[in-house]
Amino acid sequence: MNVRSQVSMVFHLDKCIGCHTCSLACKNIWTDRKGTEYMWWNNVETKPGTGYPALWEDQEKFRGGWEKKNGHIRLRSTGKARIVTNIFHNPHMPSMDDYYEPWTYDYQHLFNAPEGPDQPTAIPVSMVTGEYLNIESGPNWDDDLSGSPVYAENDPNLEGLSEEQRQQLFAIEQLVFFYFPRICNHCLNPACVASCPSGALYKRGEDGIVLLDQKRCRAWRSCVSACPYKKVFYNWFTGKSEKCILCYPRVETGQAPACFHSCVGRIRYLGVLLYDADRIEEVSNLPMEEMIEGQRSLILDPFDPHVIEEARKNGIHDSVIQSAQNSPVYKFVKVWRLALPPHIEYRTMPMLFYVPPLAPVMSTRQNEVLNSVSKDLFHDIDDARVPLKFLANLFGGGQEGKVVYALRKQKAVRWYRRALTVGDVDRETAERMLREADCTAEEAEMIYQLTSLCTFEQRFVIPPMYREEAIEAMRDPLEAKQGAGFGFLSGPRRGL
Amino acid sequence: MELWLSMKKNQVDIPAFKRDYITMLNEDSKRRNPGIKRILPQALLWIAAAALVITLCPRIAAAQETAAFFKQNCASCHTIGGGRLTGPDLKDVTKRQDRAWLRDFIMNPQAKINAGDPYAVKLHEEARGVLMPSIPGMTAEKADFLLDLVEAESALPESQFKGLQISNEPFTPEDIQRGIALFTGHQRLKNGGPACISCHTIPGLGGLGGGQLGPDLTRVYERLQGRTARQCMALSPRHADHAVHSCAMPPLDPAEIHALVALFEDTAKNGRILPNVAVLNFSLLGLGGAVLVLVLFDLIWRARFRSVRRNLVQDNQLRGLP
Repeated sequence: MNVRSQVSMVFHLDKCIGCHTCSLACKNIWTDRKGTEYMWWNNVETKPGTGYPALWEDQEKFRGGWEKKNGHIRLRSTGKARIVTNIFHNPHMPSMDDYYEPWTYDYQHLFNAPEGPDQPTAIPVSMVTGEYLNIESGPNWDDDLSGSPVYAENDPNLEGLSEEQRQQLFAIEQLVFFYFPRICNHCLNPACVASCPSGALYKRGEDGIVLLDQKRCRAWRSCVSACPYKKVFYNWFTGKSEKCILCYPRVETGQAPACFHSCVGRIRYLGVLLYDADRIEEVSNLPMEEMIEGQRSLILDPFDPHVIEEARKNGIHDSVIQSAQNSPVYKFVKVWRLALPPHIEYRTMPMLFYVPPLAPVMSTRQNEVLNSVSKDLFHDIDDARVPLKFLANLFGGGQEGKVVYALRKQKAVRWYRRALTVGDVDRETAERMLREADCTAEEAEMIYQLTSLCTFEQRFVIPPMYREEAIEAMRDPLEAKQGAGFGFLSGPRRGL
Repeated sequence: MELWLSMKKNQVDIPAFKRDYITMLNEDSKRRNPGIKRILPQALLWIAAAALVITLCPRIAAAQETAAFFKQNCASCHTIGGGRLTGPDLKDVTKRQDRAWLRDFIMNPQAKINAGDPYAVKLHEEARGVLMPSIPGMTAEKADFLLDLVEAESALPESQFKGLQISNEPFTPEDIQRGIALFTGHQRLKNGGPACISCHTIPGLGGLGGGQLGPDLTRVYERLQGRTARQCMALSPRHADHAVHSCAMPPLDPAEIHALVALFEDTAKNGRILPNVAVLNFSLLGLGGAVLVLVLFDLIWRARFRSVRRNLVQDNQLRGLP
């Protein structure tokens, strides 16, 4: 057993209101520089939808992640032979248009426009070319736009849905959608790291944050095509790739990452998971049906004395172990089994987990009378407006079981709390539902607490990072003592 | 010494037979080490001989060295009895000018011309403004050696620095054909090296013309004043331009020079016309080939990855939906 710690995340989709505050917080801190205008390290997508960049989930097109061949996983995007034959051209990359061409507005035109019959407008100007442009798409172009025949109907997660289900999903006045905020998943088996020919990408040993060394990057852009979530971006100005850094300067100083901190719906949770690094390869090679369970088995119980002992042996500080014991992520993923990894079939084993969303019951109001399609108070699980197959494609690796379990437990907790606080539903029914959902009353209370009443400290259990010790493990801090004057010293620079 | 001392000290005690023996020993040693007076004349003779050799040797060596020096530094512009190249023929130059003047001129030609010396200015004009370079490391002594060499060579009926001469016989068509073959590289140069066409052009030879590195040789015959030694020297690899641009160019064979001069003469007399059709054909072929290659690439990689979002929108428009 090789115990390591990872700062992991849970996004509770049932709470996401799609306000994009997270995206803006990230943008303002990290990607407001030249060359990064089009990047959204954090973005919020509307599902069903094609997302950003368009159709990023279609790995037939983008060739991201791993595929299993001859019993062993390989990168889809590249290989020893392919890297030679494609040395001058990496074909499977999103173009600027697949993201969107970033723009601002020529506000001066409001003042300078010649007199005419219309109101003057601020004309959009490309932030790349500086020329007037006709906006064709944006980073959230299909925002709140379920049913769009261009975007929503081409969502790759609709695969396996019957024609009837599709029609039902996109029927006028019955449209349903939910939000899907995304950042870098800081995967356990990151394809971007594996693909980089320059060795510029690495996963930090002490906290599992995947970073991209700006000095080592040689602009191969292998990572851009290898990452199945398309969360590595190429900065056309610096000629280096960039990605979400999980705000490590903030996390190291005990602050939540900007997108977490700013989240209005409080959907984001952050905490340490202990995992067994020895078994990563084994688990990433498992058959698809076993992968979610496999990844859960990698996550170790921070209360287990044996795990604690092994963690200590690996130099994990007691305070980090304690932090792992308090981790909300551990509860959501491992204890309550509510949170699921997105697209486990890419086999990168993302360490950002999603609680799948419940959809409201369809109802119409006619003369003060509320007519519901369903008799159920909350989300119909088996006859849901968002088909289970769709959610399963997104969060279950195509298997509905894990998604059903998570939805059923959430629904049971809602019924239980409804029985307790409002009292218009039968307490016994609620308790029966809890039992059926593999949940106890205590657990339901805890889920309710951490879902609805959670405080800042409960959502973000940020471990002490001991960055100084991590550095000392790699190099002697006294090695450069009184050494100034020889060699090269690059001065501090702002930003990345 | 010890023997002598002991002899003196113990003179009284030494028995007679022993004294005789000592005397005999002394006599013997005198015979074996003759006195300095006897060997001095002989030694002086030897020393004188050695001194002579030491002083003469450099003179002999210098004579050979000077010839080599002339070949290396002077022969590209001067002949001795072979006519004018860039510089004048040096045959009997010592009779035309006095030695002191010549020595000064060799050591610093620029100074002489700048000083307005009428003879130097005249030479400068005759060479069509080409200034004789001052040779690095030139000394008065070296200049004297050179003048000695020129004097000696002038006296000979045929100097080794006469340079290659072309007979005044008219060139045969075979000569011209051979010149063309050599120029275009259809016939290899005997001593190796690239064909003329790789750096020079004569319109009409080689379809697309030759290289642009060296000068155009169309009018070389007129430029270099006909069948002069200059013409031949220009063809020799020791010619300054060849030495600079194609360091590895080995010397041409006299027969090859003959053929090439024949070509140059023919070019000068009859002229050659650039066949425009060949150039047009080649350009069209290149253009067509490039287009063909692009079309081929497009066919081979027709399933390549293109824009994603734009295709989505286009597919949708094809379906006739909004």
